[in-house]
Amino acid sequence: MAQCVQSVQELIPDSFVPCVAALCSDEAERLTRLNHLSFAELLKPFSRLTSEVHMRDPNNQLHVIKNLKIAVSNIITQPPQPGAIRKLLNDVVSGSQPAEGLVANVITAGDYDLNISATTPWFESYRETFLQSMPASDHEFLNHYLACMLVASSSEAEPVEQFSKLSQEQHRIQHNSDCSYPKWFIPNTLKYYVLLHDASAGDEQRAESIYEEMKQKYGTQGCYLLKINSRTSNRASDEQIPDPWSQYLQKNSIQNQESYEDGHCTITSNKNSDSNLLSLDGLDNEVKDGLPNNFRAHPLQLDPSGDPSNSIDGPDHVKSASSLHETKKANTGIIHGACLTLTDHDRIRQFIQEFTFRGLLPHIEKTIRQLNDQLISRKGLSRSLFSATKKWFSGSKVPEKSINELKNTSGLLYPPEAPELQIRKMADLCFLVQHYDLAYSCYHTAKKDFLNDQAMLYAAGALEMAAVSAFLQPGAPRPYPAHYMDTAIQTYRDICKNMVLAERCVLLSAEILKSQGKYSEAAALLIRLTSEDSDLRSALLLEQAAHCFINMKSPMVRKYAFHMILAGHRFSKAGQKKHALRCYCQAMQVYKGKGWSLAEDHINFTIGRQSYTLRQLDNAVSAFRHILINESKQSAAQQGAFLREYLYVYKVNTYFGVDTKIIFK
Amino acid sequence: MAVCVAVIAKENYPLYIRSVPTENELKFHYMVHTSLDVVDEKISAMGKALVDQRELYLGLLYPTEDYKMFRKLHSSYTDVMCNPFYNPGDCIQSRAFDSMVTSMMIQVC
Repeated sequence: MAQCVQSVQELIPDSFVPCVAALCSDEAERLTRLNHLSFAELLKPFSRLTSEVHMRDPNNQLHVIKNLKIAVSNIITQPPQPGAIRKLLNDVVSGSQPAEGLVANVITAGDYDLNISATTPWFESYRETFLQSMPASDHEFLNHYLACMLVASSSEAEPVEQFSKLSQEQHRIQHNSDCSYPKWFIPNTLKYYVLLHDASAGDEQRAESIYEEMKQKYGTQGCYLLKINSRTSNRASDEQIPDPWSQYLQKNSIQNQESYEDGHCTITSNKNSDSNLLSLDGLDNEVKDGLPNNFRAHPLQLDPSGDPSNSIDGPDHVKSASSLHETKKANTGIIHGACLTLTDHDRIRQFIQEFTFRGLLPHIEKTIRQLNDQLISRKGLSRSLFSATKKWFSGSKVPEKSINELKNTSGLLYPPEAPELQIRKMADLCFLVQHYDLAYSCYHTAKKDFLNDQAMLYAAGALEMAAVSAFLQPGAPRPYPAHYMDTAIQTYRDICKNMVLAERCVLLSAEILKSQGKYSEAAALLIRLTSEDSDLRSALLLEQAAHCFINMKSPMVRKYAFHMILAGHRFSKAGQKKHALRCYCQAMQVYKGKGWSLAEDHINFTIGRQSYTLRQLDNAVSAFRHILINESKQSAAQQGAFLREYLYVYKVNTYFGVDTKIIFK
Repeated sequence: MAVCVAVIAKENYPLYIRSVPTENELKFHYMVHTSLDVVDEKISAMGKALVDQRELYLGLLYPTEDYKMFRKLHSSYTDVMCNPFYNPGDCIQSRAFDSMVTSMMIQVC
């Protein structure tokens, strides 16, 4: 894989963070909106703790947590639609292009001197967005809400009343059987009351007195007075206040978007593949590299009958890119946090620190203790008696009731109070606070239970997290159990048919293998997950596999080139034309002038077509020219087609300055 | 039995490459090129002790090949080399070589 900004030891804890919900009153929301931010967005840049925190584990050992981050988000009552997620990921990748004039690495392998960039920031953006946007599911508790912040403003008529209303609202959302989303960790969610005070417009005395009242009612540890909006006048920026929010808001988060056409992105990608540059051939034979053998449009097929004029999918391309451009424009025009001073920033940081240290962590500690006690008391009954009674009276588990349930969990559904789920909950909590030893042992126990019960989805989840905890354990007492991950991936993909979860496993596992230097295993893993259903995912994974090959001790340059070509093909099918062009150009460096004329011709042809679509006409002309210069081993029909293409593009290029609109229609 | 035959020069470019015409030639070209990586790996793993190697057949890259076929190919190749008019590094254009390859490809197809 390409080098990433974060090491794997930073990436994994950052991907699994304690989730906190935020429920705001209208008045409080109005206060934060003065900064063009919602309450949750306001907290985002400050949600990483600057100092270490510690807590006690069930054995009363002190456990230190470094660099803890929390995720605060507004409550959404519906799981994000897969179509919306796909669109978001598409936008993120197309928005992240290699910078112009990027300093590239020169890699020398044998007689190949390659100029390629060692980093792939678009992949990192994709991965981050993908991991953040995973919907919460029933078989794991990592992104269930642990706590809820209830926010009201000091400028309201009856703030205390408002708090009880918010509290009831949260209770309703959690316990009402209609709302199955969002998911909450335990029935007794921590409630943290925040009084938001506008320092420039509000009454300080009143705020303080209300805060005193709250402290009486909810305890000192359960509430906080947060003062914001200290900036009094709209000074036309004589001091430059940093805007840490823009980097979080450019990712058009799902929670902020209103409505979606579910099929929108699928329509776009279908159009792209119809007017695709490569002909749709029948099913092909098995490709030895282990690729799926049913490429509908074979990447290595030339289309002699296609005409450049047909391949202009300008409107589609423009449409999918325009949404991102609009949001970017909208965001760059707005200044975020205009009413906040640096003191306010510090206050927010302090608030998060207080919340975590005095509210969240004690709650987590208490919950872990409770779960631990429950588990020990259960173990008190003799194990054999318990399992015997389970077998004879078929416990309290729900047998397969409908086909839908069967599809999801492949057989078994646990009721929320089942002891196996308690173990999983405890394991997840330990993982979230970075206590990997305890997490590993709990996951291991949970895995055994789930496998015994043949609850495959749950087992896969436990295996995945057990492998990750084993890797992250300090002191590395055991080697990384790669077979756990492999089983998990296989289960997710084949039995549970859940590609999203399988993809998460692959992303984490590949990163771990890369950090251990096992590049060929990582590459094999990445390639195994490429499939027909998602072009963007396959393209990104193929590109990462290519980078794995080139980063090996003895770089496999040709495999790198081959996989870059495959990645380029998938990118163009996914509508990411710039990335496609980039991949083909990088692959070209390997094939250039080496005498593999058919391959070279194919790449030049594709580069020519892609450059043409992206309006880089000079590139297109020179690419096509290269095909014609060398002695060609192609058939006569093929050579004729190449010549026609060249003449067409050359003609367009010559007339370029004149009237492009007519030509490109 | 063979669907594609390729002879690669030391400098990693193809001296001779031919596939059964009904198949997608481009695909085979790519495959052969990519599999050179595996060949490289095997060669470097062998080390200097076997420089004067009798082990011409590097083993099965994928366990489907026929050893006899390789022998025939290799002996035809040496014949081509022996031709005094053949410059090493040129593409192979001998008719005898062509016909031998055709016979190999038609054999079991």
